[in-house]
Amino acid sequence: MSKPPSSRGGARERLQHWLPRLVLSPSFVLVLFFVYGFILWTTYISFSGSGMMPDYTWVGTRQWSRLWSSWTWGIALHNIWVFGLLYIVTCTVLGLLLAILLDQRIRAEGTLRTIYLYPMALSFIVTGTAWQWFLNPGLGLERTMHSLGWESFSFNWLIDANMAIYTVVIAAVWQATGFIMAMFLAGLRGIDGEMIKAAQIDGAPTWKIYGRIIIPQLRPVFLSAIVVLAHLAIKSFDLIVAMTGGGPGNATAVPATFMYSYAFSRNEMGIAAASAVFMLAVIAALIIPYLYSELREPRS
Amino acid sequence: MSFLHINNIHKRFGETHVLKGIDIAIEKGDFLVLVGPSGCGKSTLLNMIAGLDDISEGDLLLDGERINDLHPSRRDIAMVFQSYALYPSMTVAGNIGFGLEMRKVPKAERREAVRRAAELLQIENLLDRKPGQLSGGQRQRVAMGRALVREPQLFLFDEPLSNLDAKLRVDMRTEIKQLHQRLGTTIVYVTHDQIEAMTLASRIAVMRGGELQQLGTPQAVYDDPNNLFVAGFMGSPSMNLVNARITRDAGVLVARIESPSGDVTLPIVRDRAALETWCDRDVILGLRPEAITDPSSANRQDGEIHEAELEVELVEPTGADLYVVTRLGGRGINARMRPGAPLESGQRARFAFDVSRMVAFDPESEDRIRDVEKASAEMPAAALDVS
Amino acid sequence: MSAGSLVARRNTLARALLYAVLLTFAVIYLMPLYVMLVTSFKPLEEIHQGNMLALPQDWTFAPWREAWGSACIGLECSGVHGYFFNSIKIVVPAVLISGLLGAFNGYVLTKWRFRGHKIVFGLILFSCFIPFQIILLPMARVLGILHIANSTTGLVLVHIVYGIGFTTLFFRNFYASFPDELVRAAKLDGAGFFTIFFRILLPASIPIIVVTIIWQFTNVWNDFLFGVSFTSGDSAPITVALNNLVNSSTGVKAYNVNMAAAMVAAVPTLIVYILAGKYFLRGLMSGSVKG
Repeated sequence: MSKPPSSRGGARERLQHWLPRLVLSPSFVLVLFFVYGFILWTTYISFSGSGMMPDYTWVGTRQWSRLWSSWTWGIALHNIWVFGLLYIVTCTVLGLLLAILLDQRIRAEGTLRTIYLYPMALSFIVTGTAWQWFLNPGLGLERTMHSLGWESFSFNWLIDANMAIYTVVIAAVWQATGFIMAMFLAGLRGIDGEMIKAAQIDGAPTWKIYGRIIIPQLRPVFLSAIVVLAHLAIKSFDLIVAMTGGGPGNATAVPATFMYSYAFSRNEMGIAAASAVFMLAVIAALIIPYLYSELREPRS
Repeated sequence: MSFLHINNIHKRFGETHVLKGIDIAIEKGDFLVLVGPSGCGKSTLLNMIAGLDDISEGDLLLDGERINDLHPSRRDIAMVFQSYALYPSMTVAGNIGFGLEMRKVPKAERREAVRRAAELLQIENLLDRKPGQLSGGQRQRVAMGRALVREPQLFLFDEPLSNLDAKLRVDMRTEIKQLHQRLGTTIVYVTHDQIEAMTLASRIAVMRGGELQQLGTPQAVYDDPNNLFVAGFMGSPSMNLVNARITRDAGVLVARIESPSGDVTLPIVRDRAALETWCDRDVILGLRPEAITDPSSANRQDGEIHEAELEVELVEPTGADLYVVTRLGGRGINARMRPGAPLESGQRARFAFDVSRMVAFDPESEDRIRDVEKASAEMPAAALDVS
Repeated sequence: MSAGSLVARRNTLARALLYAVLLTFAVIYLMPLYVMLVTSFKPLEEIHQGNMLALPQDWTFAPWREAWGSACIGLECSGVHGYFFNSIKIVVPAVLISGLLGAFNGYVLTKWRFRGHKIVFGLILFSCFIPFQIILLPMARVLGILHIANSTTGLVLVHIVYGIGFTTLFFRNFYASFPDELVRAAKLDGAGFFTIFFRILLPASIPIIVVTIIWQFTNVWNDFLFGVSFTSGDSAPITVALNNLVNSSTGVKAYNVNMAAAMVAAVPTLIVYILAGKYFLRGLMSGSVKG
C-alpha cells in the first residue's frame, strides 16, 4: 500500500513508517516459531523413529501405521465420535430450547441467564471433580435416591466401561449449554420484530412462526455453535482426566488423552506426534473454512 | 506562482485508477470547493493534500514547495473531518489544544490560543466537557476550533456539514463563509452538495470519475458549463436538457424543438460561430428553469426573450416560485414562473425563453459546443500555468 | 424487539409451564455447585451416612482448612495454598503481557495496515484454534533448553504465546470499529504511532481491556493441559494440584476436602463471572463469532 518515504522524509519519518511492523513483529515471530514451527516439527517427528527421545531418522509412515493399528486409538476415535456427536447435538438442542423459552419476556431473565451460564466460568477440572462426586455410585446420586425412598434406583455409569463416556457427555453438556443458549439468545434478539408481527397478523400459530420464520434465520448461529462445540470436543482433555482418567481401563480414552499418555507416560513420541497431527488436521478442516467465511470482508 | 498547485496528480489503488491527472491551482485566500457525486475522487484528493494518502504520480505544491513526501503534521495544514473525529477521552479544551501540545507549544500559550479559538466560535462554556456530552452542532464547532487554533496555511474540510440537520447546516454554512471572510484563510472544501459549493466557493472544481470536469467561479460553472455532466449536476432544480435540431430559418440560425403543441423554434444567439457548423444536425440544448418564465416576469433588459405557446402539464407551487412543467423535445421541462400566475394543468400558456442563456451540447461526446475564443478564456488556470 | 410475546401472556397455564421448565433447568444447573458446597462443610462420617443433597447437620470448616493447608498432594502435605499462589504468579504476568501485545497487534492491524496484514492476522488467529497436543512435545523440549521447564516462568511464556491469538482478535475487532478519521486527525495534529495509541485509542478501550483481562484470566487460571504437561511437584498450578488431590489412589477418599479444594480452585473465576458477567459473555461471543 504505502511506499517508504523518500530520503527527503528524514530518519524520524522512516522510523514512523517501519514502527508499526516493528511493534507487531515480536508477536508474529513468537507465533511463527511456537505455532507453525512447532507444527512442522511435530509433523516431522510423526515420520521419524522417535521414541523416548527425538530421533530424526526418517521412517516414512511407520508411526502412522502403528497408530492406526493401535487398539486404544480405535477406542479413542470411537469415543470422540460418540462424545462429539452427542455433545454437539444435545448442547445445540438444549441451548436453542432454553434460548426460546427465555425469550418470552421472562421475569428474572437476567438471574436465570446467569445461572445457566456460570459453569462456563469453571475449570473442567472443577467440573469433573464435582460431577465425579455427584455421580459417585456409592455415595452420590444413587445413594441419595435410595435414602429418599427409591430403593431400586441404580446409576453406576461412571464405573461401567460401556456407559462411562456418557457421564462425560452429561458433565460437558452441563458446562457448555449456557453458552450456546447465550449465542442463540443473541441471535433471537437480532431478528426483525416487524416480520414476526406481520406473521402474527397473517395468523400463523406460534410454533409455525418459530419453525418457518425464526429458526431458519438462526442458521449462522447454528453454524457458529456447531463449530465452537466441535472444536471444544476435539480438544477435550481436562474433563476426561478429571472425571474418569480415561478409564475404566481405556473405556473413555479420546485422542487428546491418547496423545498425552503416549507422549509422557509411554514414551512413544512418534505415535503421539502422529495422533496430534491427525487432531490438527481434523480441526483445520473444520476451522479454516469457518474463519475464512467469518473474516471475509464484504467488498464495498 | 499559485499558492496551492495540484499538478497532474494521479492516484491508483492497485488496478483501479482513482484520480486521472488532476490539475488545479488556487491563490492565497481562495475558497476552493471540490464537488461531485460520491466516488468521484474528491475525498481522495483532499486526503492527498493532507498527506493522509500517498500520491501515485504528479506534484503537489504549497506556496512553491513540493510537499508530496512531507509528513502530514509538517505540512502546516489543518483538517475538519466529516465525523468531526473528536478524541473521545479528551475534553473540548484538550481536543482543541492537542495539535499545539504535539508541537510542544508551552502550556500558557496553548491555553490562550485555545481560549481565543473558543471565543471566535462561541464555545468558551464548553471547554471542560467531553465530546460525548455535546450536540452535533457543538461538535462541529469544536472540530473547527481544533483546525483554527493552529493558524495553518491551509484549511481542509471534508464534508463537514453532512452530519447536521437541514437547518443547522444552513447556519453553519453561513458561519464558515463569515469565518473565511474574516480570517482570509485559504480553504479546500469537499462536498457532494452543489448548493454548498455554490454558496461557499470562490472557485469550484467539479469532478466525476476521477477527472476534473470544470474549474471556475461558481457563476461560470453555473452559467457556462463545460459539458452535460456539469450542467446537470449544478443547480436545483437542474438545468432542462432537451433534444433539438439546428437549422436555418429564413437565413437565421435556429434550434427546432419538437413539442406536442407544434415545433418550437428558438434563435441561436450564443456560441453562434460554433453552432454554424452544426447546421442540420441534432444537439442537446440546456436552459436553466429561471430562463423559461411567464412573459410578464421575463428579463427583457439583459436577456433576449423569445416567446412560444405550450401546454401546461403540471403546476408545482413552492411558495416563492411556481414551477410549471411542460413537454418539449420529448421531455418534461421545468419553467420558473411568478407565484400566483393563473395556470392550470391542461391549459395552454405563453412561455418566455431567454435564448441568451441557452447552451448547446454535442449529444455524442456530451461536451459543450462553444465559440473558440470564449472557451480558452475559461480554461483552468492550472492548465495555463503548466504549458 | 424479539420474538418476545409469542407465548400469549394471557394464557396462564402456558406461562406457568414455561416458568416450571425454566426453574427446573435452573435447579439442575445449580445442583452440582450446591452439592459441592454442602459436601465441603460436612464431616466425612455424615457424607458416608447419607443424602448428599441434605444440608450439613454439623457444619464444619475443617475440610476447607485441610484443603488449604494440610491435605496431601503427592508426598507434600501442605494443602493447595502453594499451588493457588502458583496460579496467581502465572496468571498475572501472562494476562498483562499477552493483553498488551494483543492491544498493539490490534492497533497495527487496523490503523497501520500494510501489505499482507490480512495474512498476518489469519496466521495469528488460527493459533487460537489449534489442538494444543500439536505443540506439547516441542514445547517441552524448548522449555528444557531455556531452563524454564517445570517452573511457573515457563508456564507464563506458554500462556503468553498461545494467548496472543485471542487478545489480538479482541483488540482487532474492537479497533476495527474505531473511526479511522480519529487517527487521521491525530496524525495531522502531529501525533506519532505511540502517542496516538496511548493518548487516543487506549483511553477509549476500557471495555475491551476488561473483556480481554477476564477472558485471559479465566483461560489461564482454568488451564490444565499445559500445567500437567510442563510442571510437576510444587511448581504446578491449582488445577493440576486439585486433580492430583482428587484422583490420587492412595488412602481414604476425603470427599469433603476434595470439594473444598475444588471450591478454592473455582472461587476466583466465579467471582469474576459474578462481578463482570456481561464482559465475560462478550469475550466468549467474540471468541466464537466475529465482533
